[in-house]
Amino acid sequence: MRRMDRGEFLKSAGLFSGAVLLSGCGSGSGSGSSAGPKSHPPISAEPGNLAILEWGGYEAAGTKAQKYWKIPGKAYTDKFGANGITYTYIVNDSQALQKASQVPFDIMHPCNENTPDYVSRGLVQPWDTSLLPSFGELNPFFVDKSKVNGQQYMIPWDWGYASLTYNKDHVDPADATSWDLAWNPKYKGKISLWDGAASNLEVAALKLGFPEMDNMTPDQLNQAKQALIDQKPLNKFYWQSEYGDMQPALKNESIWIAYTWQDVPPILGTNKFVFIDPKEGRLSWFCGFMLGANTKNYHHAHEYVESFINKKACVDMMNIYYYGTANSTVKPSDIKDKNLAKALDLGNPEAIAAPNVHLQSWEKNRSAYDLAWEEVKAA
Amino acid sequence: MSATSQTVTHPARRRRRRRVRFPRGLLTLPPTFYVVLLLLGPIVLIALYSFNLRSQYPGMPTAFSTANWHDFLRGPNNPFRDRFIYSMKVTLLVSLGTVLAAYPLAYYLAFVARKRRYTYLLLVLAPFFTSYLLRIIAWRIILGNNGVLSWVLVHLHIVEQGHTPSWLIYSTFSVALVLFYTWVPFVALPIFVVLENMDRRVLEAAQDLGANGFTAFLRVTLPLSFPGVMAGFVFVLIPTTGEFIAPLLVGGPSNYMFGNAIQSLFASTADWNYGSVLALWLVAVVVVLMIVFGRYLSADLQEREA
Repeated sequence: MRRMDRGEFLKSAGLFSGAVLLSGCGSGSGSGSSAGPKSHPPISAEPGNLAILEWGGYEAAGTKAQKYWKIPGKAYTDKFGANGITYTYIVNDSQALQKASQVPFDIMHPCNENTPDYVSRGLVQPWDTSLLPSFGELNPFFVDKSKVNGQQYMIPWDWGYASLTYNKDHVDPADATSWDLAWNPKYKGKISLWDGAASNLEVAALKLGFPEMDNMTPDQLNQAKQALIDQKPLNKFYWQSEYGDMQPALKNESIWIAYTWQDVPPILGTNKFVFIDPKEGRLSWFCGFMLGANTKNYHHAHEYVESFINKKACVDMMNIYYYGTANSTVKPSDIKDKNLAKALDLGNPEAIAAPNVHLQSWEKNRSAYDLAWEEVKAA
Repeated sequence: MSATSQTVTHPARRRRRRRVRFPRGLLTLPPTFYVVLLLLGPIVLIALYSFNLRSQYPGMPTAFSTANWHDFLRGPNNPFRDRFIYSMKVTLLVSLGTVLAAYPLAYYLAFVARKRRYTYLLLVLAPFFTSYLLRIIAWRIILGNNGVLSWVLVHLHIVEQGHTPSWLIYSTFSVALVLFYTWVPFVALPIFVVLENMDRRVLEAAQDLGANGFTAFLRVTLPLSFPGVMAGFVFVLIPTTGEFIAPLLVGGPSNYMFGNAIQSLFASTADWNYGSVLALWLVAVVVVLMIVFGRYLSADLQEREA
């Protein structure tokens, strides 16, 4: 057998590495959307190991990670056990889409403004709403907004508003009538915006009076970016985690003003925090469950989601997390915090899109928004 | 006699001939495979992303483009370039400060602590038995507005309640302090090893020739320990250029470092193509630093051997 000399060895090593790299250069498409109706094996034949892309704190009751609510998800974990469920966590919508593109999940929990991206990238398939007994109880406004190409790709679940919360012991209420509060130099070092990419650009758009906050022109986007760069020195920090960073900082008064959802004043539990209604309008959002394009747990996924969207689960979620629910059978009388029920205008099915409320919607130039936010942080 | 010797030696020769000769080149296959798969492969993949030849989203169109590189290197007022310069300043500051603090520690361990030096060394390294993340979170508790340091300052009547200095946390100070704390023991180690192995007779010779303790330190100990100092400096400099955890947890909006930009572009907002440009730039800078300091160190060692 002829020995390999050094040159030959290096050549073969080079060829080998080239082969490895070329294989990496191939198309990254791994998950295509289903071309037609698929037949699904019965639930007894499914593996039942649900992989779920989720926000921290939204785990099913009965799992070790869930310490607060008792009902959402409980029907599922009672029936099938909690050990098979694996959660992968997300901290913002861009990250959610990115993770969903890399790893297949059975269930994802993105927000309304992202649903077209999940569909166009073949990451999801429509739900079979006949397998969800509580589907008929869901608010038709949300249900309709959750459709893409006429198909029910998202099952809406939670919704809310986004605005600024301030500590009235330190902030003059006269200053708190507009998003300008976040730009007020009087409160330098006592403000914290969310490290939430596009949301801040939408806030800047509202402040600047741009009518289409999710579809800004490049010039408008530049102006919004500059407004956020101007605002940056006023922040103590950009918060990453609602429960880990922002709420403790508000509570211990390291900050007096923060970008929050409506849940923060009731969670902090004192009367000194006020969630403002800016003259330019609040942001609003709703999120829901999407079904993985190639899930092997089709029926399990439906059972799981049903255990979240039924009325009892939604009441529990509202009373513990102070978010709105898509289940329209939940009445103000079910909610312990009457101020919350009033603030969410529970009797109004279209409260989320009421006048002076800006529902966050799909951004066709999302990557420009994301890069602009990174530039703000790096500036 | 000759016949006997032939019968003795032949089987041994035959055995040698029969032995399977393993091509020496094959022995390098495992490390080559390791380097190609885990080092060069990812770097080339990142390069492909940086030139827009790949996308993290399945099905997204790709085409060769240098736009991201051009924007980073030549774009007017590019914030990421400015962030790189800021990060290098912090890195140099931390590296110098760490070396200055670690040297007396290493000197004490090598020359003063005597029999207990390894016990003390173990104590110095003790915090590293816990995770880096936990140690940084502990610093958040120490430096926070209602933290330990704040409490001490208030109770010593140095500051009033609610008026602790704003720079204690979410500042360049807090980032530099945490990095300094992290790296001092690592820098002390190579300096300690060099000092520990130093030929003490040269110090005696210096004293015999009339040098006082300080002069002997300046003229003998310090130059001989320079390879350890440089190794320690490089130990801090290279990893700190890409640091992102400390700025993320104890830094404020203005203390965002270059590593944070890379982390964020990959993990949070979704622009792997631009993130790859920054990552590859950082790899290039680290390689240059390694070449510069590696050559310097080896030259120094050769000088010592000569």
